[in-house]
Amino acid sequence: MRHALKVLAAEALKQHRMYFGSPMVLFSMFVWPILQLAATYYTVRPVASSPGIAQRWPLAADPQSLLAFLVTGALGYAFFVSLVQSSWQFSIERQSGTLELLFLTPINRLVLVIANGAGALLQNTWLFACFSTAMLVVLGNTVHVAHPLMFLVVFLALLVPAVAWGAFLNSLLMFARDAALMFTMLEEPMWLFCGVRLPLFALPVWMRAIGSVVPLTGSILVVRGALLDGKGVFDLLPEFGLLAGISALLLGAATLTLKLGEARAQRTGQLSLF
Amino acid sequence: MDAGIRTAGLGMTFPGRRGLHRGAPKVAVDGLDLAIPPGRVTGLLGLNGAGKTTTIKIMATLLRPTSGTIHVDGIDVVAKPREVRRRINLIAGGERMVYMRMTGRENLWYFGQLYDVPRTVLRKRIDELLELVGLTKDGDTAVEKYSRGMTQRLSIARGLINDPAYLLLDEPTLGLDAPIARDLRKVVARLAAEGRGVLLTSHYLDEVEELCDHVYLISDGKHLAQGSPEELMAAAGCDRSVRVVITNPSAPIRAIATEFAATLGVTPTIVAGENGELEITIRHAEDVAGPLMSALVTGGAAISQLEALQPNLEDAVLTLAAGGAVPAEAEAVRA
Repeated sequence: MRHALKVLAAEALKQHRMYFGSPMVLFSMFVWPILQLAATYYTVRPVASSPGIAQRWPLAADPQSLLAFLVTGALGYAFFVSLVQSSWQFSIERQSGTLELLFLTPINRLVLVIANGAGALLQNTWLFACFSTAMLVVLGNTVHVAHPLMFLVVFLALLVPAVAWGAFLNSLLMFARDAALMFTMLEEPMWLFCGVRLPLFALPVWMRAIGSVVPLTGSILVVRGALLDGKGVFDLLPEFGLLAGISALLLGAATLTLKLGEARAQRTGQLSLF
Repeated sequence: MDAGIRTAGLGMTFPGRRGLHRGAPKVAVDGLDLAIPPGRVTGLLGLNGAGKTTTIKIMATLLRPTSGTIHVDGIDVVAKPREVRRRINLIAGGERMVYMRMTGRENLWYFGQLYDVPRTVLRKRIDELLELVGLTKDGDTAVEKYSRGMTQRLSIARGLINDPAYLLLDEPTLGLDAPIARDLRKVVARLAAEGRGVLLTSHYLDEVEELCDHVYLISDGKHLAQGSPEELMAAAGCDRSVRVVITNPSAPIRAIATEFAATLGVTPTIVAGENGELEITIRHAEDVAGPLMSALVTGGAAISQLEALQPNLEDAVLTLAAGGAVPAEAEAVRA
C-alpha cells in the first residue's frame, strides 16, 4: 500500500507536468465543460418547452431544474472523460520510449494503471470543487442535500468507479498502437449512453444496456440522487451496490488485460513499436 | 548461487504476422550462451540485425525467450521477473526514455518512486547521480531545455536510480559528441570498477575495445566468437604490422629483412619507392618492431620512417562476421 501511494504521488506529478500543468490546459479544462454544458442546455431547452413534457419528463419543465440535471451530468462526464484522455497519453509514452521503462520497473502493473488514473483525477479535484460551489451559488434552490457529508459521498461515488474505469481503459490502451481511434470510440458512448444529457428512461433499451456497464451511469445516478433529490446513503444503497460490482468487474478485467497484454508484448516486442 | 547474468541456449523467435499480410516467424536470437559477471564490462557485438537489442531486452524482462534459460544471480528471469527487475536496469541511446517536461531531478524522483527506493535514500541518491553525470547545476531545469548530451547523461542517471547490480547498455553513446561520449565511458568504467556487471552493445568499436574485458560476437542471433578484444583480433587473424622505410636499399639489407621474417614464419612485403627508397612491411601477431629495427640497423640500414600498426576490433568483427575471411585491405598488405 505504501508503495502504491508512492506511485500515485509520482504519477500525479508526472501528469501535472506533462499534461495538466500549463495555464492553457487549466483554462480549457474549465471552459470546455461549460461550453459543453451550454451547448447541451440550449439543445435540450426547446425540447423541454414542448407541450406535455411535464408529464413525460417533469424535471425538464423547470429551466433551473433542467440546468441542475445537466450540470450534474457534466460533472460526472468531466471526471470520467479525463480518464479516457489520460489513458490515451500512453500512446505518447510508447513513442517517447518511456512505456518500456515503466515495464522495466518491478511495480505491480495494476497499481501503475490505478495510480495513473487516480493521478489524472487528482488534477480534476479542483474542477469538482468549482462545479459544486457554482451549483450551490447559481442553483441553490434546486440543490437538496440530506447532509453536508453527502458531498464527500458524491465525490467518492465519482472517484472510486472512475479509478476502476481508468484502470480498465489504461490496461486496454497502453497496449494499443492506435489509441487515438479507441479514444474516439470510447468518448462518444459516454456522452450518449450514460444519462449525461438525457434521463435513462428516455433512452432505448439497447442504449440503456450499453450504458449500464459503464460506471459513469451509476455515478451520475448517485450524484443526482444525493445533490438534487436529497437522498441519503441508505437510499442510495442499490446504486452503491451496482457501482461496487461494476468497479470490481472492471478491476478484474484490467488485471486480466494487463496480464495478457504484457505477455503478448513480451512475445512480439510491440511495446517499442509505434 | 551463480553470480552474474547467465544464459544457456537462449533463443527468441518473433511470431509471424497473421491475417492478410502474413509474414514468416523471425528468429532473432538462436542458442546463445552468455555470461555477464559482476565487476566487468562485457561487450555484445554484431552487425545490424544480429540480435543484440533483442538479447538485451530479454535480459531486461521486456521480452520472453522462446527457448533456453536465463538467470540473474541464480534467479530465473522468466519465472521471477519482478525480482530480476530490482537488480537490473537498461539504458539505451538516443534522446528518448525520459519525460521532457519534467526536470532532471523530477525524472529521477519519479523512477525512484516506481522502484520503491526509500525516501531518504532516494534524495541522497538523486544528488549523487546528478553529480556523477555532471547535471547538478541543471537538475531543476526541464529536460526539454537540455542538450542531447545532457539528456543522455540523465538517462544514465535514470538507469542507476535503483542501484542495479547489472546495467544493460544498448548503444549508450549513440549520436553523442566525442567529449561527452568519453565522459560517459569513464562513468561506465567506474561503475564496473565498483562491482556492477555491465553489458554493452555499441557500434563504436573503439569504445568496446577500451571498456570491455570480454566480448561476445554474434551474427544472425548466433554465437560467432568470444574472448578479450585481443583474443578476438587474434582469432580473426588480424596481425600487427610494422612498416619501415630505408633510404639506402641494398641486396644485403633486403636479405636481412627476408631472413628476419623467415624466422617468424612470415613473408615480408618489400616494395621499392619512387625515390629509390625501400619499404618493408612485416605482419605478425607479436610486436616485432624492436627486433626488426635492431636487425636492420646492425646490417647498416638507414631508416627514415617506422610505423607500427595495431590491429583493431573493427577488423576482427568484420572478418569474423564475414565467416573468417581476411579483409581485402589486410590481404593487400600481405601480398
